[in-house]
Amino acid sequence: MSAPAFRNPQGGLVDRATTLDFSFDGQRYAGHPGDTLASALVANGVRLVARSFKYHRPRGILSAGPEEPNALVELRAGARREPNTRATTAELYDGLVAQSQNRWPSLAFDVLAVNQLAAPMLTAGFYYKTFMWPASFWEKLYEPLIRRAAGLGRGAEVPDPDLYEKATLHCDVLVIGGGPAGLAAALAAGRSGARVVLADEDFRFGGRLLAETHEIDGMPGAAWADQAVATLAAMPEVRLLSRTTVFGVYDHGAYGAVERVSDHLAVPQPFEPRQRLWRIVARRTVLAAGAIERPLVFGDNDRPGVMLAGAARTYANRFAARPGSTAVVFATHDDGGRTVTDLAAAGVSVAALVDARTEVPAVVRQAAEAVEARLYAEAVVTRVHGRGGVQAVDIRTASFTTTLDCDLVCMAGGWSPTLHLTSHLGGRPAWDPDGQAFLPGALPSGLQVAGAAAGTFGLREILVEATYAGVEAATAAGFPGTGVEAPRAEREAIDGVALWRVRDHKGKAFVDFQNDVTDSDIVQAEREAYRSVEHMKRYTTLGMATDQGKTSSVNAVGILAEATGKPIRETGTTTFRPPYTPVAIGALAGHHRGRSFRPTRLTAAHGWAAAQGASFIESGPWLRAQWFPRPGETDWLQSCTREVKAVRSAVGICDVSTLGKIDIQGPAAAVLLDRLYANTMSTLPIGRARYGLMLREDGFVFDDGTVSRHGPERYLMTTTTAQAGKVMQHIEHALQWLWPSLDVQAVSVTEQWAQFAVAGPRSRELLARITDGHDVSDAAVPYMAAVELTALGGVPARLYRISFSGELAYEIGVPSGFGEALAAALMAAGSDLGVMPYGLEAMSVMRIEKGHVAGGELNGQTTAADLGLGKMVSSKKDFIGRTMAQRPALTDPDRPTLVGFRTVNAADRVTSGAHFLDAGAAPTMANDLGHITSVAFSPAEGRWIGLGLMVRGPQRIGERVRAWDGVRNRDVPIELCSPCFYDPAGARLRG
Amino acid sequence: MSEALSQHSPLSGLPPVRSVFAGLCVPGRHGRAEGPASVTVAERTGLAIASVLARRGCEAQLADAVSARFGLALPTAPTRAAAGDVAFLWTGPGQWLAIAEPAAAAGFVAGLASTLDGAASVADQSHGRGVLRLAGPRLRDVLAKGIAVDLHPRAFGPGHVAATFCAHLDVLLWQLDDVPTFEIAVARGFAGSFWHWLEASSAMVGLAVTPEA
Repeated sequence: MSAPAFRNPQGGLVDRATTLDFSFDGQRYAGHPGDTLASALVANGVRLVARSFKYHRPRGILSAGPEEPNALVELRAGARREPNTRATTAELYDGLVAQSQNRWPSLAFDVLAVNQLAAPMLTAGFYYKTFMWPASFWEKLYEPLIRRAAGLGRGAEVPDPDLYEKATLHCDVLVIGGGPAGLAAALAAGRSGARVVLADEDFRFGGRLLAETHEIDGMPGAAWADQAVATLAAMPEVRLLSRTTVFGVYDHGAYGAVERVSDHLAVPQPFEPRQRLWRIVARRTVLAAGAIERPLVFGDNDRPGVMLAGAARTYANRFAARPGSTAVVFATHDDGGRTVTDLAAAGVSVAALVDARTEVPAVVRQAAEAVEARLYAEAVVTRVHGRGGVQAVDIRTASFTTTLDCDLVCMAGGWSPTLHLTSHLGGRPAWDPDGQAFLPGALPSGLQVAGAAAGTFGLREILVEATYAGVEAATAAGFPGTGVEAPRAEREAIDGVALWRVRDHKGKAFVDFQNDVTDSDIVQAEREAYRSVEHMKRYTTLGMATDQGKTSSVNAVGILAEATGKPIRETGTTTFRPPYTPVAIGALAGHHRGRSFRPTRLTAAHGWAAAQGASFIESGPWLRAQWFPRPGETDWLQSCTREVKAVRSAVGICDVSTLGKIDIQGPAAAVLLDRLYANTMSTLPIGRARYGLMLREDGFVFDDGTVSRHGPERYLMTTTTAQAGKVMQHIEHALQWLWPSLDVQAVSVTEQWAQFAVAGPRSRELLARITDGHDVSDAAVPYMAAVELTALGGVPARLYRISFSGELAYEIGVPSGFGEALAAALMAAGSDLGVMPYGLEAMSVMRIEKGHVAGGELNGQTTAADLGLGKMVSSKKDFIGRTMAQRPALTDPDRPTLVGFRTVNAADRVTSGAHFLDAGAAPTMANDLGHITSVAFSPAEGRWIGLGLMVRGPQRIGERVRAWDGVRNRDVPIELCSPCFYDPAGARLRG
Repeated sequence: MSEALSQHSPLSGLPPVRSVFAGLCVPGRHGRAEGPASVTVAERTGLAIASVLARRGCEAQLADAVSARFGLALPTAPTRAAAGDVAFLWTGPGQWLAIAEPAAAAGFVAGLASTLDGAASVADQSHGRGVLRLAGPRLRDVLAKGIAVDLHPRAFGPGHVAATFCAHLDVLLWQLDDVPTFEIAVARGFAGSFWHWLEASSAMVGLAVTPEA
């Protein structure tokens, strides 16, 4: 590792006292705090840093900011590897490891550079033209080939070890951009006492002040910026967010921003996130995002060593790093003069200033003379020589051409306001012919633009405008400013002309560096009738890379306008969408990944079930016990069958707390229930429960459950687990919108009660042991009773004599703080009765054996009659869904209807989703008779049974048909039967 | 078997109530261990909690009954009114959460239902909600990681209530004092997810679980 050869011994904003060791493509280099990866590479004389996307051309560093299209690297290694990281914004840290990407086997020798030989085939529209035929080749051949050839780096492909978080930040004034305009606006707004947030993507505030040689209020620009930051930091209601990119504008003053909390460290500090996603909610916003310099379009303008002039000044001034040894500056703007001055001061020899303008202003001429650079007026650079890096340039003036040796070409093509955020809500930038720039169009509500982003160039004017904007924003947010004075700066030379491309150049002239789109691609698009700017963009892919065309879109519009012969104002521009720069998915996910991807809901007795060894399954947000394996069981079906047998022969308990429970009270409670349910509820006596069927407005079945009456005006509704939230919404809609005059109050009490099913012939015996001596006999608690009593030594409890399993069964509810105690008490009290916990699978087997409908049948497409529940539907009252349920299609007798079936051969297995087909019928849609909705292995039947929806199924009971499953390749003979397999008379549940 | 049940003896009457954050909100430090914890948390157990929904057109009658019985003005905006051991928190038009401190919890919900009979429908939620008391100098920063409501002192102060989301969960949040101290109510079933979010979000500043005050 040698000392950086292109680092000047003094000047700049790097801390030479500390040396940072880093590596690029395995080579070790030295840099300093204050460097970016790009500036450190420049200081070390590294010019070739990447290969381009399509042609694999050698590329260097074009810019010094977030607009960088070339210098994309894989940063870090292993699980932290990040592809497509812009070297120009990556802050250097000790031990940084970066790799070039998009090349094989090495950056200097890249096999796929042969693509350049095939360049005639790879021009605009090549995807559309080349890979059209045959269509079957696309997935198998073309797409993998293109992806491999055009890969933009590699993801880590292992879980990210770092933390990410999200937070909301509210403020009166958000200032986006911490350059001179942003600092001035924030100072003005902050002095009003408003809550101000100043966000800047750089790790140091100051923007162009760090990169130029400006003075403000008589002090160097960077020093003024430091002073402004110190002033702001001392204001209690001002929050400074450096390393923070505001990437998107959303409705109602909401902004998305990502703070790179730890990206400047090898590994985040303990408990610190790598990145934090901010949702900033601002009353007013000042966009002070500055401007992006335009490259010039000429032959081989993408060679390493061709750089934006502003970037060259940034490397020279801010980083004390010489971007080359001998420079040619190609300008259409007064920045050319500034550039030759700064480069010469940094020790770069300036061979020439090539100014495209006919009249070169005196200030620029003088700058060239002062550094003894040759000035070519009314001249252009037509071509760069040198493949791996600039060796010379061809210059053409009005009267002659010449070639000059150099290793650095600086392009000063004028500036385009960074107005991206202004178009996130649909605002279209408008062309300003005087300023030769697109300016912000219709602005997002509450946002104003100041400084270069608004098309105001010249530091003196920028500071005045931004100060005013800060006062105005604070005032609009309710904090009137008083007597704020704008910082002062000298006037600057800021004139220029537009030159969209150099005509008659040799070689490829790139407009979009990242997507390898040239000026001739744009002209070709126009020739092939893609003349709208939106069509041109898509046909050429210009502006569609990760840089979203930050350096290319305006030049492209200019070239397209020339080609179509229309003014730019009529040509228009494409707009920009969030994010302004790429945002890591990890930042968007924040805390919500892995087990926190979404909340998990646990029943009160979850810990008990886990201690019993339950296997859990997700049911909406809930985790429910699916079965409880016992030693020696190797298969879920063994556990499930054992649990079913225990319930059928003795007693089992099952946590049913996940069912929705809604407390309904009020004088009109019964009226509401009659309108919600298809069957009548108003006749339900106190102390009784009733099964209920609810329809949607469209007449299809919505949900089922029970209603129990606990008082004259008090009911408890239960819903299915899946629909609990939707039923609550349905009720709120009914009460707030359909019938606001009904005096009914409904509130969810799902979480208040832990509820267990206690099922089986010995369930009453078990319950009697835990219910504090209350009478639970058949006479006291008959079938469908709902009584209040106490259990567990005085705990208030609700006991419902209801059965899903077909056995003598109850549900008992206690306040959920006693949920585990209830489960444990039932297990302890029933040990001599053979009590067994059972899970969802056993519950499902038993309900299928009884022919009760559940999720598979309540699928949103079935009517009451389809489910064999037509008789429940009242004809004596109105209710939600009644009218729509009478539509012809819903009453068609050929609708698939609930039927049961059993396999003919006990060894056969059937699966849900299989179709009913007649014997011998081909598996076609025309022959389809319906499908199987639920299956179970029935211990009672000793074979697989199920329920399904079949055309005229109930009329065909006793017939044999087939269960055809084309997915699993099964075709099984089955016999149709009643959906109720088990105890059809219901003697057991009434026992 | 649960800790709660193992303490149960037939002679002691009721089994102990398992609190919502039992096994989660265990005294000790989480996250950054150096220096004083910037956020403290304790579970509020033994509270009686009831939802109170006004009957149609009975808001005035209800307010009178609450004022007469508890000596507080029933809030009609998202605020909390407290007197003695009882507080009413506005949760929506015509809806409140009534919370009684442990000293007044016994029989509170049944008494409330009878006091407000005819004016409001009352439902017991004492076991359905877990309440945490949170305090500390960095608390607002931590809450901002889950709650989108502006909790800056200029926007939200003691007595204010927010029915909002935190990390995809429904929560009810209210501020008690300028320390700042907040309390937050979370549905029992989601307590684990909420706790995991709180631990993760406060790890950076250090979280101390303190015994209940």
